[in-house]
Amino acid sequence: MNQLRKRTDLLGIKLLYKENRISKLLKWNGNRKKSTDSRIQQVDNGFFEKFGSLFREQAEMAQAREQEEQQHVAELAAQIAPKDEEEKEEEPETPPLVTADSEASSSDSESEKDDFQADFLAAAFNIDELYTEMLYVILHNVGCDVAFEVGQTALFSYAQDAFKIPNSKHRQLMDVAEQKEDPELIINVEVIEAKELRAKDANGLSDPFVTLYLASNTSHRYNTSVKTMTLNPIWEEHFALAINDKSVNDTLCLEVWDFDPAETVKEKFGKFFEVKGVKGMSKLVKEIAVTAATGQHENELIGVAKIPLSTIPASGMTMWYTLDKKNKVTRRGVLKVRISFSSGKNNQVAGQEHRHMRRIILLHELEVSKVAPYWWCENFTPQADQLLTQHVAQSGLTQTEVALCSYSVYAGIHQKHPLSFGLFSKLLEKLLKPLQTEIINEEDLKLFWEATRKLLPSCLSIIRKIRKKTTNEKTIMKQVMEVLKILNYIITLGPTDIDLFPSNLYPWITFHGNGPNCDIQGALRDAISKGANDWLNYIIENNTENGGTSISKLQNLIQMIQLIRSDLQKAIEYYDKFFIEHVNFQYAKCLYTFYQARVATLCEPDVREICKNLKTLDNSDYKFGEGFVNEDPTVDPLAEGTSLFELYLAIQRFVTLGQGLCPADYNSFHIRNFHQWFHVGVATWLDIAVYKALQRIEKAVELDPLVHIDSTVKYSSSAVDTLTIFYQVNTFWQQLNWPDVEGCYTFIAKIIDDICQCCVSYAKKMAARVDGLGHIENVYEKKFEVTTEWCLAINNIDYVRETLEPFTRDLGMEDILKKIMELKGPVDEKRCRDTLNTVISNAIDTVRNAIVELLETVVNKMIPSMKRLLIEGAELCDQDSNCIDRLMMYVDENLGTLNTELNEENFNRILEIVWESLSETINELIRNNLENRRPPSFFSNLHKTLILMLGVYKDPSDCNSCDALKRTEQVLRVNALETSDLIHEVHLELADKFDQFTESPYGEISFRSKFDGDTIQIEVINARDLAVMDSSGNSDSFVRIHLLPEHEFANVEKPKTKTHHKTLFPLYDETFTINLTPAQREIENGLVLLSVKDKDLLGYNNQYIGETFIRFRDIPCTSESLSELPQVKKWLGRPTSFDTDALKALESRQGDKQAKEFLKKFKNKITP
Amino acid sequence: MRSTTKNPLLKVVILGDGGVGKSCLMNRFVSNQFDEHSFHTIGVEFLNKDLDIEGQTYTLQIWDTAGQERFKTLRTPFYRGSDICMLTYAIDDKMSFKNLEMWRKEFAYYADLKESNQIPFIVVGNKSDVSSEAREVSQLEMETWCNENSITSCIETSAKSASNVEEAFKMAVQHWLRLESRADINETHVNDTVDLSKKIGDSNRMSCCVGGGAAGDDDTNN
Repeated sequence: MNQLRKRTDLLGIKLLYKENRISKLLKWNGNRKKSTDSRIQQVDNGFFEKFGSLFREQAEMAQAREQEEQQHVAELAAQIAPKDEEEKEEEPETPPLVTADSEASSSDSESEKDDFQADFLAAAFNIDELYTEMLYVILHNVGCDVAFEVGQTALFSYAQDAFKIPNSKHRQLMDVAEQKEDPELIINVEVIEAKELRAKDANGLSDPFVTLYLASNTSHRYNTSVKTMTLNPIWEEHFALAINDKSVNDTLCLEVWDFDPAETVKEKFGKFFEVKGVKGMSKLVKEIAVTAATGQHENELIGVAKIPLSTIPASGMTMWYTLDKKNKVTRRGVLKVRISFSSGKNNQVAGQEHRHMRRIILLHELEVSKVAPYWWCENFTPQADQLLTQHVAQSGLTQTEVALCSYSVYAGIHQKHPLSFGLFSKLLEKLLKPLQTEIINEEDLKLFWEATRKLLPSCLSIIRKIRKKTTNEKTIMKQVMEVLKILNYIITLGPTDIDLFPSNLYPWITFHGNGPNCDIQGALRDAISKGANDWLNYIIENNTENGGTSISKLQNLIQMIQLIRSDLQKAIEYYDKFFIEHVNFQYAKCLYTFYQARVATLCEPDVREICKNLKTLDNSDYKFGEGFVNEDPTVDPLAEGTSLFELYLAIQRFVTLGQGLCPADYNSFHIRNFHQWFHVGVATWLDIAVYKALQRIEKAVELDPLVHIDSTVKYSSSAVDTLTIFYQVNTFWQQLNWPDVEGCYTFIAKIIDDICQCCVSYAKKMAARVDGLGHIENVYEKKFEVTTEWCLAINNIDYVRETLEPFTRDLGMEDILKKIMELKGPVDEKRCRDTLNTVISNAIDTVRNAIVELLETVVNKMIPSMKRLLIEGAELCDQDSNCIDRLMMYVDENLGTLNTELNEENFNRILEIVWESLSETINELIRNNLENRRPPSFFSNLHKTLILMLGVYKDPSDCNSCDALKRTEQVLRVNALETSDLIHEVHLELADKFDQFTESPYGEISFRSKFDGDTIQIEVINARDLAVMDSSGNSDSFVRIHLLPEHEFANVEKPKTKTHHKTLFPLYDETFTINLTPAQREIENGLVLLSVKDKDLLGYNNQYIGETFIRFRDIPCTSESLSELPQVKKWLGRPTSFDTDALKALESRQGDKQAKEFLKKFKNKITP
Repeated sequence: MRSTTKNPLLKVVILGDGGVGKSCLMNRFVSNQFDEHSFHTIGVEFLNKDLDIEGQTYTLQIWDTAGQERFKTLRTPFYRGSDICMLTYAIDDKMSFKNLEMWRKEFAYYADLKESNQIPFIVVGNKSDVSSEAREVSQLEMETWCNENSITSCIETSAKSASNVEEAFKMAVQHWLRLESRADINETHVNDTVDLSKKIGDSNRMSCCVGGGAAGDDDTNN
């Protein structure tokens, strides 16, 4: 048969498509008409797609999803943000010093307000005095910048505005100011260094020093120290020169001299050898000459710098000046000096005065300019700037003092009108060094910390409101950065004994120490938590459940976690680096630590509760063809489970984030064990998955067109669909990523068990689907034909079965067992492995049984047709019937189809079943027809047919049903024999049987025999141990010789020996020669029967002792004399039963006289 | 390849407190082994065993469960679809006996039993090899409890001495068979139900409570 040869090719293809299964599976699914897919999905609204998509996206498009989610979150946040603003904007009337939660702000604003007012009252108390001072300052402007920057008039009017002084009062106070004494001004000069001075000494260097004096008072000179042998001296020396009159026309003179100690000419000459070059030589000569001429020593002027005081700005300056000398054009060098004004005022008074002034001016500036909160950055108007600078100059405040004043004033104002944080961070930067290195008086230090205390709330508020969406991201980030800088400076400067975080102002700060709290890190941590907490609470409040169902609850939790994750994402991407850089604070980690606790407390109770109340699905409610009986159509029992799963995934990802973010603390996080909350849910998810899978399988089978998916494969769409479903279950499992090993193990056991259930269900549905197919009925006949659909059904189930084992592998069974090994040791590992393997093999066995069942169904459907043709063939064979041909055609066609469509394993299986069933059928035919006394020809025909079929289809070597078939064939062969042949069959069987004897109660006979041509010679020699036949204990025996089969030797005599009386050891010693025809000689299976009998006295009723057979083929063919041949000894035997096929066949031939007579004789021979 | 699996399949679940010897019972029954120091079962364990009853071979698929509370969620998914539930306690542990009620309820809940009449429970008191001083639950208590809960099959076994172990499983299957046949009969003969509330010894009662091997009782009234 061709089909059989094709097997190998098919096998090759089979292997090929096994390898590519999954990829093809996916491809096919992709290529297949979407309609089917979508129709299957419609069953459950894309249940697995929802689950599956989560996974795929997570796996393949995590990035994209991340973005998408962020966008989503951003939108959500955007929706929330405006509301946020509205809420916040409700309280702008209250001083917006802390715009946080109302209770905190109200409380701290109260206290701060008092503080501020008191401050202001104090200011009002001496406001006139202050104003007078202001006017006085204007009147006595110093520095170069007075005239051209802003006119005095403008300054007066500005001051009047700023101090809100009415005109009359202004004039009055102006008078007071004008009558006041001129201020005692001092000019501070620091001689810093000089460069490139002209060499004055013979050695090419100079020994410079500086003399400084005011042009108005040349007698009052100051000298610096002498720097020897240098042209680039560094002095860094300070001088204070009093300015007596208020004239600005005075000039500061700085003279650089080369120092010449008093030397004698002789001493000078001693230097002769130090002289450098010709020029040096001429200098020295000149010097000597001068010394010699005047007889006195004299310092030599290198150069002069004259600085009109009018060129010095009020705020002071540092400058390089070129040195000049009368009538000289050559470069003399440059000199660097720092010049500033100061006054003889009391520093404390001046500082306080300056603070008040600065405050009033700043308040005025803010009022006029309407600058936005957090914006102002010391950008005073020129008038304000000049007023303040003048005051600083005239009061002689140092830079540090000014910075301290500014810091204090700004911090105070910042409470009401927030100023730029950059301003503060710059001031702190300026103050950092002085505060650390200089000796600052107690009061100033206290001032600083008080100011800091005022500044801190807004700083922490920025940290808390980091999520506020009002301003753009850049601004927030800049603010945060500045705030962090500020905090860092404060941390560096601290600690202090001032309570920076009074608990009435910061109820949310968890300070457990004693005494004043200046733990900025702690406050920062609390601020972060507080901010996150407020934000989270806001989300929760605004996320109120829609309807309060558990699903909406879950959806809210999911949304919340998504928002938190995006917040964390932002923290990681933007803020974390600032926090670490500036304050060495791990912002994201701190945030995560807070969130994880909140998420845990928010989710755990709900999850546990919902899990507990999850509606369990009852798969036993599932009815084929109907689906599940949904008791309550309004509640989708699956939506809850699905949402719960989404939440699980959301938390899972949140936890993964934490694992990366806080590897050290991770193990202490409560949320780490989040999966335990879902414990109960998992079982339900698995149930849902099975439920869905069963539904889909049913639909897939229903929609299966039962055609090959493509030409390379042997199964149809539902197999692929079913596999897709399994793949989706697996996807679900991968996604679940259950962390607990013991749970994993049991869940896997459950999944495998469930998948088995699905397979079985699929097999059943597939079988039901094809059941009615292939029946052909027309006027001539009714028959079953194996169709492609049947084969596809079988292949489909087999295909699904094949995937079971890879499926379990994909579930990660080995990994889990490995973990169990590590966790529990080899004993438990083995038990678990055994369990899983048993479950798997059970599943595979069960599905295989389903396949076998289907194969049997096919065969059972074929059998009636075959049976009918067999009977017809047996009855009509000789009459030129074509029944056998038709039978062969039928079998050929059907097996052909099966062979083409099925894989080798299943084809062999079905062949087995065919032969088994055929054997059964034929046996049944034999039984029935023996009863009906069919002639041997009937069986003979049947036998021929069977041999024919076996020859064609059956390789007898690999046949499990061989024995049964052999039996059937044997029975058929025997029944096909004519009666005489049948009788001979009996004899042959006996001959075989007797040859087996090793002893016998009937005795043993010795003889010789040979063929000589067509003549047979038999010498009966003796017998021994014959059975006792007489009452006397002896026998009277003789031997008769028959040739068998009887009907072939009808003309041949049956000779016998003489009777030997009364002995059990008779010596016969008789030789018989019988002539045969050549045809008789050649008879196959010819037998010589030696029958030993006991002679009856009367000779009528000779008793039978025993008999033995000699086969013709065992008789030597020789010309030798008989006496030369060896004696042959044979045990005598008797038939013992009817239990052979031949005898049974004879028995069944009730109407056959010959058979009847033979059986009668035969019965007599049987051992009594 | 198909011969062995053609048998009717019965899913058996063994329940009971941790340490009463569920796994030991199963291992004694399936592989005739006993390990005194066996560990806790992880979640579930599964084994197959063929059992001949009146000429018919039944394949028992036995799910042995972990009794500890922490495994509850892991074992309950396996209850559904069971044909037989074996409620197990140890006769030297009163608590485990008292907990039978809890186990019965847990099974009924998670197996989604619909008709209370059809609950295929069998009660097994294990460790019948302990001395009579150690015994905390008498056979009468067991029978009374079963009676109150309409459970008709109970037996005392010892996985250690192998006493009554196979009998317990056989009894379980026979019990199932009766339920099956009764279910069939009920369709035709509605009146042919057995009043389970009648006292022990009532000849009508299809009771098959069997005493522990240590006590050496006759296997009574069935």
